[in-house]
Amino acid sequence: MAFLEVEKISFAYPKSGVTVLNGISFSANELEFISIIGPSGCGKSTLLRIMAGLIRADGGKIILDGKRIKEPSNSISFVFQDFALLPWLSNLENVKIGLASKPITEEEREKTSLEMLSKLELNGFEDAYPNLLSGGMKQRVGLARALVSNPVLLLMDEPFSSLDELTANSLRKTVIEVLKDKKTLPKSIVMVSHNIEEAVEMSDKIIVLSNKPAVVKKIVSVDIKRPRDRGSRDFRRKVDELYSIFAE
Amino acid sequence: MLPLIFSVILDTSYSWVRMFIALSISLVIGLFTGIAAARSKALNKVLMPVVDILQTLPILAFFPFAIYIFVFYLPGSIGINSAVIFLIITSMLWNIIFGVYQAVISLPSEYTEMAKIYRLNFYQRLRKIFIPAALPRMSEQMSLSWAIGLFYLVTSEIFSIGTKNYAVKHGIGVEFVTAAATGNFYLYLYAIAVFVLFVIITRLLFFERFDRFANRYYLKDYKKRKKDRFTFNSIHGIGIKLSGKTKHKLYVFSRYFFYVVLAAVAGFIIYKMIFAINIPLLSRIVNYEGYSILSLAFSFLRIWGAFLAILAVSIPLSIYVIFLSKRIKRYLLLFQILASIPATILLPAVAELVYGNSELLSFIIYFLSGLWYVIFSIIATTKYLPQSINEVKEVFHLKGIVAWKKIYLKAIMPGVITGAVTGIAAEWNASIVAEYFSAGSGKIITSVSVGMGKALNVALASNNLLLMGVLLANMVAMIIIINYFMWRRLYNRVNSVYS
Repeated sequence: MAFLEVEKISFAYPKSGVTVLNGISFSANELEFISIIGPSGCGKSTLLRIMAGLIRADGGKIILDGKRIKEPSNSISFVFQDFALLPWLSNLENVKIGLASKPITEEEREKTSLEMLSKLELNGFEDAYPNLLSGGMKQRVGLARALVSNPVLLLMDEPFSSLDELTANSLRKTVIEVLKDKKTLPKSIVMVSHNIEEAVEMSDKIIVLSNKPAVVKKIVSVDIKRPRDRGSRDFRRKVDELYSIFAE
Repeated sequence: MLPLIFSVILDTSYSWVRMFIALSISLVIGLFTGIAAARSKALNKVLMPVVDILQTLPILAFFPFAIYIFVFYLPGSIGINSAVIFLIITSMLWNIIFGVYQAVISLPSEYTEMAKIYRLNFYQRLRKIFIPAALPRMSEQMSLSWAIGLFYLVTSEIFSIGTKNYAVKHGIGVEFVTAAATGNFYLYLYAIAVFVLFVIITRLLFFERFDRFANRYYLKDYKKRKKDRFTFNSIHGIGIKLSGKTKHKLYVFSRYFFYVVLAAVAGFIIYKMIFAINIPLLSRIVNYEGYSILSLAFSFLRIWGAFLAILAVSIPLSIYVIFLSKRIKRYLLLFQILASIPATILLPAVAELVYGNSELLSFIIYFLSGLWYVIFSIIATTKYLPQSINEVKEVFHLKGIVAWKKIYLKAIMPGVITGAVTGIAAEWNASIVAEYFSAGSGKIITSVSVGMGKALNVALASNNLLLMGVLLANMVAMIIIINYFMWRRLYNRVNSVYS
């Protein structure tokens, strides 16, 4: 059995009854980076929230490491598209939120959070408030909060899409760098994206969803050697393959 | 029984006519003033600070003054009715102006650019862009205005009867006072029942419909709505773009014009004062000043004591409703209905309950007058928090004390501060009936020993305009000073972090 199993997830909006997700299934092995891509409004974010246990699916189940996920758990972390930082807490306090439910001392919480902030190149901004930061730096805080608790499963909801391309690029590099660290590496990562290049650059496997209702159109594995060069022939070929799947 | 109910319904209708006249006038003035203030930099500079101060002042305390002037100039019942309607307008108008102003000023510039490209004239811009854009916010503010207006309506009606010379003849307030004076418990119950019934019917038949109509014009991409809520900060103004040399000249001209008018008014006052100053008058003012400060201090303690009690109730209650309960809409409807029952209506009943203990009575009336402002302000500023903050709470398992400390108590701060300003103003408003109240025929229902409300009543009863002026000046000065040195600073500090 795979490490992460998504089995026949279906979901309809409670008010309108419109089906958004229709029997979505895929699986991931340990240490795999999965991307879910699809047209906007197809229900990618809803699927991710179901995986986080924030929303209950109408049918199907999510199994992580042999255990069924029904509600948010300590082993799952989440990176939000709009950062979702608490504006009234300093950046350090925001990162400490990620450890709020862990039974450790306040000193340990502080120490681990400071380390994580420094990994994400936020030294010197510990006591500043989120709204004074640029979008890219806000998302670094968001990532630090998500990673600080050593989650088993890391879920990212379009983490780079509120940023401009240059900022997004450098943040992607940092994320790839941070995730290299075997000590903090989540056993499984699922990212929702609408950017094909980004998905090819970062993931081992790409789940392509279709629109209305969303079904899995195709699962594409990406076995290009890392670090990946966006200009390489293999990279371009993979991107073209995905574009043609979309166009079908 | 039937004639009794009939007379209650008739009287309530009288009151409602006053309310709708006041609302219509407020809407027209609010719409045009709000749009003008948002579109003209000069008006913006002049008007918004004034409106900002006016909305935090307890204008009801000026009612004795208003009665004096209106009754003096207008004959018979027209005078007192105009005074009541005028008072209701002063309670309804300010937040409508703010609502319209903020709707127009946060209108994406594409709309005005579009208007320029297609060369819409002034009238077309008004009809096609600004008025529709203002409608949703106006509707929102309108139902708030209505609730505030009801308080002013009933309180000013009740108060007018207390003065016997200037009493209104018909109105729901009359029924309450009659019930209190004659000890007619049934009349009192009927009056409350009919009043609440009228409130619910008006909400369903008028406000709900108007809201549905107005929300068709709601612009979905108003992402900054949450920010707009904090009207208190408006004095700093959100700059608007104006281009063109003529507009600049106009602006400079209007600014000078404003200074000239200001200088003229100041000059006139000084001129008058030089002639008015004489030693006996001066010594009278000095005498009144002592009494005035003493009254102010006593009322201050009562009002802030009640305010602490309000915080102790409203903070946990609003946090429960916003974050913990799943039925925020139902609670809101319940609160709206409860809040529309003016605290002053309950005065006779509370007086019975506390066996004439005036201090306890005034505390309860103050508490009830300010409570809903704080609750509504907290709910209004907090319910626009992004959904993802709730998700953060779930994903990271924030529970119990941690959730209270890190999220709930922090998230409501802007609401608490804006609510405090309006809530305390509402308490001062209630002072003219909370501290002293007589039921027409000279039967005194409650009277504290010293206090601002008591002093205002004494001044009106003895037709002492000078004392009234000194009292009001002291109160206004105190409120402006507290707003400026305490609330505005707190607000700015919170706001610099939150947004």
